Amino acid sequence: MSYGSTIKVPFGPQHPALKEPEYFLFEVDGDIVVKVTPRIGYVHRGVEKAFEQETYLHNLYLAERICGICSHAHTTCYTQTVEGLIPLEVPPRAVYIRLIMAELERLHSHSLWVGIAAHEAGFDTLFMYLWRDREMIMDLMEEISGNRVTHAINTIGGVRRDITNEQANKIKKFMDRFEGNVKEYMKVLETEQTFLKRTKGVGILKPRDAISLCAVGPTLRASGIKSDVRADDPYLAYGEIPFNVITHDGCDVYARTIVRCEEMIESANIIRYALDHLPEGKIRVPPPRTIAPNESVGRVEAPRGELIHYARSNGTAKPERYKVRAPTLGNLASVCQTLIGAHVADIPMILAGIDPCFSCMDRMTITVKKA
Amino acid sequence: MVLYEIVGVFIYPGMAFLFGLAFLYEWIDRKFFARVQNRIGPLYTGRSGILQPVADFIKLLSKEDIVPASCERPVFSAIPIVYATLPLIALFVIPITGSALIAFEGDVIFLMFVSALITLTVFLAGWSSAGSFSRIGGIRSALQMLSYEIPFGLALIGPAISAHSLSLTKIAQWQAANSSWFLWLQPIGFAVVLISLLAELELVPFDIPEAETEIVAGWLTEYGGRRLALFRLGKDLELVVASTLVASLYLGGAQPLFFIPPVVILILKSIIVLLLISFVRAIFARFRIDQMTSGMWTYLLPLMIVQILLVQFGIGG
Amino acid sequence: MSLFREAARQIFRKPATVKYPFEPGIVPPGLRGRPVWDMEKCILCVLCQNACPTAAIKMIPKGPDAGIEYHLDRCIFCGECADACPRKAITMTTNFELAETSRSNMVQHYKKPQQAQTQAAKT
Repeated sequence: MSYGSTIKVPFGPQHPALKEPEYFLFEVDGDIVVKVTPRIGYVHRGVEKAFEQETYLHNLYLAERICGICSHAHTTCYTQTVEGLIPLEVPPRAVYIRLIMAELERLHSHSLWVGIAAHEAGFDTLFMYLWRDREMIMDLMEEISGNRVTHAINTIGGVRRDITNEQANKIKKFMDRFEGNVKEYMKVLETEQTFLKRTKGVGILKPRDAISLCAVGPTLRASGIKSDVRADDPYLAYGEIPFNVITHDGCDVYARTIVRCEEMIESANIIRYALDHLPEGKIRVPPPRTIAPNESVGRVEAPRGELIHYARSNGTAKPERYKVRAPTLGNLASVCQTLIGAHVADIPMILAGIDPCFSCMDRMTITVKKA
Repeated sequence: MVLYEIVGVFIYPGMAFLFGLAFLYEWIDRKFFARVQNRIGPLYTGRSGILQPVADFIKLLSKEDIVPASCERPVFSAIPIVYATLPLIALFVIPITGSALIAFEGDVIFLMFVSALITLTVFLAGWSSAGSFSRIGGIRSALQMLSYEIPFGLALIGPAISAHSLSLTKIAQWQAANSSWFLWLQPIGFAVVLISLLAELELVPFDIPEAETEIVAGWLTEYGGRRLALFRLGKDLELVVASTLVASLYLGGAQPLFFIPPVVILILKSIIVLLLISFVRAIFARFRIDQMTSGMWTYLLPLMIVQILLVQFGIGG
Repeated sequence: MSLFREAARQIFRKPATVKYPFEPGIVPPGLRGRPVWDMEKCILCVLCQNACPTAAIKMIPKGPDAGIEYHLDRCIFCGECADACPRKAITMTTNFELAETSRSNMVQHYKKPQQAQTQAAKT
């Protein structure tokens, strides 16, 4: 380190602030970040190549395991894409059950995130309270689908398990309790001075930058832009269920926290509405084994943002090409922009602000040949 | 006579007793912190987990000690021993049993000096470790000391002015003789001393030098094995210093109550202070270093000056 | 100070920790644990082997070892085999405490009884 120049602080691949391994090299002048160099690809598993080796039904289980927290979003997008290839019409009861599971997953993912944000700020008590409430959602999902994560409730052509009436009543009762808890935690987050000092004005992403740097999900909505795949391009039954798209004008980490908390309350309302209007009927139709040559794209609003799957079939029982674009890849460019000019202490808050899910994200590595 | 002194220094109220107190206080802190967070805390080692701090200490002693190649070896090795010894020295002047092992006029100044030395040790630990995280942690702790040192010193001086003595033992005895504690005579001083002690002990909201999610473990990052065990022992001893200091200065110190010996009363009072520190630790998030320095200089120092002026004008003993 | 009331209330509540494994864990009835085969009903039709995404099931059609070889270490507990079986011979139990200490213990062999084999061959 020469006199007067910057210190290089490496974040990762192993760091307590990152829940998954990625490498960020920060150049720090005093306490202010001057330059960020990210390097991704530490969790690249060759998933897209693995998709081409197995049949469509077996690939469902591979798609589920791309990510643990948003596994249902991946299987919903996968079945939507493959059902678009065939094409296949899914019975309405199955659509509603998929929607209820997707919203339950959004609840558990957002409460996980708010806990992690509190933990990054040093607010361990709120982290423990939120994760205690999240355990109850996991128990609920275990009762409905058989597992806490990687639910395996989706299949091509419908869902595999039904929601009984007593399960529906249990979910509704729990939603009331959970909504009350979330409102209480929101009050704490809005008035706790130490937390506000760590999140207000931190990681500002102006709306124009957000659009030009391809931000997605709550990161985009916290900059005031009303963009949600559930409202813009309704899939499943979102066209029939009334709900609000939550935005906030703060553009900072505080706005992202508030957007996610209010989305949790909105999800609770959606679940209650869907359970009250659950249609009768069968829950699955048998799909064909081989699929004629076709191309299809599926878009889903995962808890972290817009998730895109693309499939191409060639008449056999295995796909020819499958591509997954995870929402964190879209948010990465914007996070590198917001990190410049931040204090070192703000780095974990800003990194956590996009709700990074690096295992979803690592789809390809960029190799640079030295001349 | 010499045997009496040796027993006094090494067994009671010396090192063995103080180490036992340190482990006990760490257990109380962890259990209470866990209960506030709706968890259990240590449970299985010993009855209700009371041997957990001892088990952690012994486990750390048996772990491999990795020394980074580019560190300053002599400083790196000596710092843990110094860090574990300084709180012990501070504890020798605090009247735990009613009379301290070493008592002289100027105790309070000596205590402030030892706490400044402790922070200097922390800075050296971060500097000699030669890693970017350690260096940042060391610098942050030095900055933190610049902020809380003056309010802390003034908060110790407030009771000294009222009791007309700079000896901790005499201040505690003054409170017993006048049956009024500085807790209600100088409440601003009590609040300020608690906040500055949180900054000195590096607990949330001021655990900036070792912010786990930002700089891994700050100045502690490169230490492991035996050296880390000594650091943790030093931290627990600092906890004992902090709670017994506040108990002696502001809560009346070691006074006998009916037939209960004074040392038990002091331990009870310091456990109340410890529970207060643990509770405050649980309900706040962490500050940033620039927010902390500006907050301390803007709020704590003027409050303390107001308190000292009040004492000079006769309000508060 | 906003968390003050809530934190003070939590001190007096029962902790949310479940002391598993010293107390039994919470097992909801729909939990997907390991599958078990009922060899009385099994007709050795190979549909479960084809349905398994991870090749954890191997069906041996004839001979003294005829039956189902089930690899516990490859199973992902998805339940596709139970869905695919035409005779409902596979049930997903709620047993999730499945740790073993050696790889050889993770393979279970369900043998089809001899006389039932010839019976199955006739039908």
